[in-house]
Amino acid sequence: MKAWLAVAVLALSTAACADWSNPPEQVRAARVAARSRWGTSSVYTPARSSLADATRTHFGLRADPVQPFAYSHRIHLAQDLACVDCHQGVESGPRAGIPGISTCMTCHAAIATDKPLVKSMADMQTRGLDFAWQRVYDYPREAHVRFEHQPHITAKVECSTCHGDMRQQEVATRQVNMDMSFCVNCHREKKASNDCLTCHY
Amino acid sequence: MAHRWGMVVDLDRCTGCEACVTACHAENNIPTVGPQEAANGRAMHWMRVERYWEGEYPDAKVKFRPVLCQQCDNAPCEAVCPTYAAHQTDEGLNAQVYNRCIGTRYCANACSYNVRFFNFFNPQWEKPLHLQLNPDVSVREVGVMEKCTFCVQRIKTGKRTAATENRELKDGDIQPACAQACPSGAIIFGDLNDHESRAARLAHSPRGTKLLEDLGAEPKVTYLQRQPWNESDA
Repeated sequence: MKAWLAVAVLALSTAACADWSNPPEQVRAARVAARSRWGTSSVYTPARSSLADATRTHFGLRADPVQPFAYSHRIHLAQDLACVDCHQGVESGPRAGIPGISTCMTCHAAIATDKPLVKSMADMQTRGLDFAWQRVYDYPREAHVRFEHQPHITAKVECSTCHGDMRQQEVATRQVNMDMSFCVNCHREKKASNDCLTCHY
Repeated sequence: MAHRWGMVVDLDRCTGCEACVTACHAENNIPTVGPQEAANGRAMHWMRVERYWEGEYPDAKVKFRPVLCQQCDNAPCEAVCPTYAAHQTDEGLNAQVYNRCIGTRYCANACSYNVRFFNFFNPQWEKPLHLQLNPDVSVREVGVMEKCTFCVQRIKTGKRTAATENRELKDGDIQPACAQACPSGAIIFGDLNDHESRAARLAHSPRGTKLLEDLGAEPKVTYLQRQPWNESDA
């Protein structure tokens, strides 16, 4: 008798919960968003994925980027290459271009073709691959900073002011702490605009 | 002379198609909040098209009025902000600095035009829709106020292009997304300090009026409309 009662209660409660198994669209969307906290999201949101992530951002803790290829700035700059030869678009646009294999091969099709790294790069190109360079400098999303390279190049600010002396560096690393005081001090010195809307929008 | 950005909206040309609204959403990474929260009044549209019915069916006439931030010279939103997040720039833009905003919402309550919007939620885009976000504009997070910027990123791009080509900025170089998308060319953007610019000339048209002019906020958006009592006006 007790067993029958239990089955009946179970059946009734399942029926009552039937609505739950087919939630309205917003509830489903909210569940997907909740899952996003743990990084397996199908939703893009500016919210930090976890408390640890938010804490790291707050204190500016970031892992140093690991580049996919052992490119040496020191060797190339010793050959009197200029920054803009590879980082194209920096004189006309907001972003300094990050070169792909095709840029490298404009020279390396003829130069140092017997070096093992150049060989492996040529091999990558024939296989249709390209470098997945990692960003070195970046602003956290909350900073709402839109940095533009071109006005700085026009104002004759040296690349090394913000990126350090690349002739001494193999792989690019963060040399300068680009916090707001760094930007504002220079803007004051050069009598550039210090209005918030110059950078934050 | 410094620029003073302004806009003219020709209501006689506006067909109410809302292309400007769509373009604004796409350009400025404006999130949608879903039907439930929109019903709660939390929808965000930096630009909207207001609809006015005149007369009774079947003799009804409909009039449209695109409303965006009027970039007031004497802005009520700026005076009430405790953190100076809302402030006037040298070029007459009514700026909103997200970093400074602490979300008191005083500005939205002070605004006479209802064009300031509060992020009640962190915005969400179903992947891969996030790939269409504009990299030149921030994605605002929960707790900050946002509003029309007159597409300040495009103003900057226009200036940058002119500087690269070593020339002066000329009228028509800069177009906000709404003006670019408008199929009937009803939205004209330009420098009000340049008396030769199209926007400055149209701003002095006899058809021109300002929205809620008697409040004294001195908006920089002019609405052109042929007045029924003065049909001879051009």
